[in-house]
Amino acid sequence: MSPFDIWLGILQGLGTTASVTAYGLVFAVPFALVFGVAQYLARGVARLLITGVIEFWRSSAVIILLFVFYYVLPVVGITLSALTVSAMVLGLNAGGYASQAVRAGLQALPSGQKEAGAALGLSRPAILLLIELPQALVAMSPTFVNTLIQLVKATALVSLVTLTDMTFRAKEIAQVEYNPVAIYTSLLLAFFVVCYPIALAGRWLEARIASPGSRAGGI
Amino acid sequence: MGFDLAFAASSLPTILGAIGTTLTVALVSCIGAAAIGFLFEMVRRAGGIAGLTVGFVIDFIRSTPVLAWLYFLYFVLPFYGVRLGSMTVGVMGLSLYYSGYLAEVFKAGIDAIPKGQPEAARALSLRRRDAVIYVIVPQMLRNIAAPLGNYFVSILKATPYLAVLAVPEMLGRAFDIASETYRYAEPLSVAAFIFLALALVISQGVKQLERWLLARG
Repeated sequence: MSPFDIWLGILQGLGTTASVTAYGLVFAVPFALVFGVAQYLARGVARLLITGVIEFWRSSAVIILLFVFYYVLPVVGITLSALTVSAMVLGLNAGGYASQAVRAGLQALPSGQKEAGAALGLSRPAILLLIELPQALVAMSPTFVNTLIQLVKATALVSLVTLTDMTFRAKEIAQVEYNPVAIYTSLLLAFFVVCYPIALAGRWLEARIASPGSRAGGI
Repeated sequence: MGFDLAFAASSLPTILGAIGTTLTVALVSCIGAAAIGFLFEMVRRAGGIAGLTVGFVIDFIRSTPVLAWLYFLYFVLPFYGVRLGSMTVGVMGLSLYYSGYLAEVFKAGIDAIPKGQPEAARALSLRRRDAVIYVIVPQMLRNIAAPLGNYFVSILKATPYLAVLAVPEMLGRAFDIASETYRYAEPLSVAAFIFLALALVISQGVKQLERWLLARG
């Protein structure tokens, strides 16, 4: 195999990498929004419980969490596909990180925003949805982009639970071809061409938001 | 078969026995990552072609998964005749990967130092090296203490990746028990629990440190 064939062989796993990422976002985005907002609003015991759930997903080592859910769920009678378990664990881990950005973004808004909404006679949910969240989410969007990159990179883990992603393809090719330099350089490059454009987009966003004189909210 | 709590408890001492390995790997990797990251940031700051190249290397590292770096080092180094133990390769991989992130921490820590400080150093005609050692670094250390602590927790949580290279850290021990007994759920849950407890305790410590540094003003 030429290095180019190796590169193409690894890219055969791009579909799995992309679907774990997309499927992971299905878990990450709602989790981040619901738990970030809930942590911002809740007080007392409720806040403690919400923080506990967030910390479980955020502070655990994601590689172990993946193995735990992969092996424990069948034991307690829940059978999910490797793809679903991976998307759930990686997605909720990323969602845990993003929830902190949602909460921090909401907390960073000047309280005048909320008060102005109340003075206009808006209900609390309306203030949250129309005034607070849009500003908080725009302000934190570069952080969300970074979390997305972390999620894409974390999908390399699914190769350990039998899914044929780019990393798994690299290992497969390594079994029939002794050319570790080309194989693992290609693997790094494959992730680079996926993640670097996202990073550049994130930088562009950050500059847009920070630039003075841009429209309110930046974007 | 169900989840056997007694079996989980019996696997605890064996897994916990590897906590020293886990913490050592995390600490050495963190020091390595800080050293490489600081060097990267200094070269990037100096600018020129070397600065641009290092800037790109940092971006490259940050755009690629740690698992891919571990495989890369583990399989490519022997190809060039460099034979190292799997623990050494693992520490090298974690150090290299996190150096890309720590370079950004150093950048932020240095950017936060008031401009007048390096200017004053230049006005006193300190050499660049002396300005870095006596003016920049002491002020930077305060700025980076908390983020560095948070990255130590991240590195700690990444040490189980080394189980893939057969390093006998806590996840590796858990898998050893699992493959001997064909029971995966219990030892893996125990390992997950220990890592979560460690991460939470150290994170709290970092928060206290941050508060203390802020209070000192």
